[in-house]
Amino acid sequence: METNIVGNPDYGQLHVRLGPGEQFIAEGGSMAWMDSGIDSKARLLGGFFSALIRKFTGGESLFVGEYSTGKGGGISFSPAQPGTVLQRTLNGDSFMLTGGSFMACTPGIELSTKFGGGKALFSGEGLFLMECSGRGELFFNAYGSVIERKIDGSFIVDTSHVVAWEPSLSYSIQGMGGIKSTLLSGEGLVMKFSGTGTIYLQTRTMPGLASWLTPFTV
Amino acid sequence: MDIEIAENGAFGSALVHLRSGEQFVSEAGAMFRASDNVDIDVTTRSRSSGGIMSGIKRMIAGEHFFFSRYSVLDDQDAEIGLAPILQGQVTLIECDGDARWVCAGGSYLGSGVELNIDTQFQGLRGMLSGESLSFLTVEGRGPLLVNAFGTITELEVQGGLTIDTGHVVAFEDSLEYSVGKAGGSWISSFLTSEGIVLHFSGYGRVLVQSHNPDEFGRTLGPLLPDRNS
Repeated sequence: METNIVGNPDYGQLHVRLGPGEQFIAEGGSMAWMDSGIDSKARLLGGFFSALIRKFTGGESLFVGEYSTGKGGGISFSPAQPGTVLQRTLNGDSFMLTGGSFMACTPGIELSTKFGGGKALFSGEGLFLMECSGRGELFFNAYGSVIERKIDGSFIVDTSHVVAWEPSLSYSIQGMGGIKSTLLSGEGLVMKFSGTGTIYLQTRTMPGLASWLTPFTV
Repeated sequence: MDIEIAENGAFGSALVHLRSGEQFVSEAGAMFRASDNVDIDVTTRSRSSGGIMSGIKRMIAGEHFFFSRYSVLDDQDAEIGLAPILQGQVTLIECDGDARWVCAGGSYLGSGVELNIDTQFQGLRGMLSGESLSFLTVEGRGPLLVNAFGTITELEVQGGLTIDTGHVVAFEDSLEYSVGKAGGSWISSFLTSEGIVLHFSGYGRVLVQSHNPDEFGRTLGPLLPDRNS
């Protein structure tokens, strides 16, 4: 299998070339074009109930597409939003994604949804986070370009800019300063990460674009 | 005439250099800059034929009712900058007069006056695929500018290629397409949200866009307030 990310940071896209008999898994709806002769099958991710909950809370599709081919061929995937596509290799470790960031993976990766608890509810990131584990290649996407930041100690991020992080980091939700500045600074709630590890941040947010577009709704 | 593609990333635009006596046509509203010796005329015709009906047909094809036609007023060189509404790449196709090009989903940006622009009704295929009911066809020899949402990739179809709806920018008329499902069964196709795809067959070039504007709209839409509130 060959994978190739092109178009970052404006319009990142993933090109995959499958060898005979190989499989690939991608978020439903992300296939843009493919060679004739590739089969796609819908597969429920991680059990019916959690898939259903994820669909309505995490923003990810209920089903993922499983692509397979007998003779080999190419497929191209693109996320719904313009932005960056990133790759991470998992060697038995795990990785956390926020709702909507999952894009594709090789079959060796386990995807499970994690209830983020009350704090995730307030974070604006959706109620569910996705924990990816196992062995293989994981692809995720962000709106805008991505800043990779190593944290040692603690770090504060506006909630909607968080894309992914290493599970060695723990987080809490808090306001920016006191009640007054939380409400008036325009920052709303922030996530405070602590520990040692890497976090991936997107430079733009969809809610930000939506509020810019709002005055234009007719 | 000389056409320059100004940026290749998310905010592509085209700069058309005209010599005295030359003309260029674009979709209405695409011009963002022009030298002061350019005259802009609004018309429903791309060449000589056309009229109100062809304007209406173009609207069905997801394009503008009007064209803007630019001509040079004096004997100096002139330039016109053209930009699409959506963020994405702009590409120049040199039509060689052999193959007719078909522009899908509002991808037409501008063209030389020697090209003949018409519409082609897609019928049931257009209705089923969610693409527009008719496509724009471009015939003749000359430059054609198309725009897209995202980056444009040129693919050479040799036999067969499957393209998700909403990703087709333009294709050569030598290609046939049919509307079908992505794979396996209709249920599987529906559940992976791939739903309906276009199967291209034959030999020829097709331009695809990396991103799907409708899907972007569906992601963004729920974040916007109600129309009525």
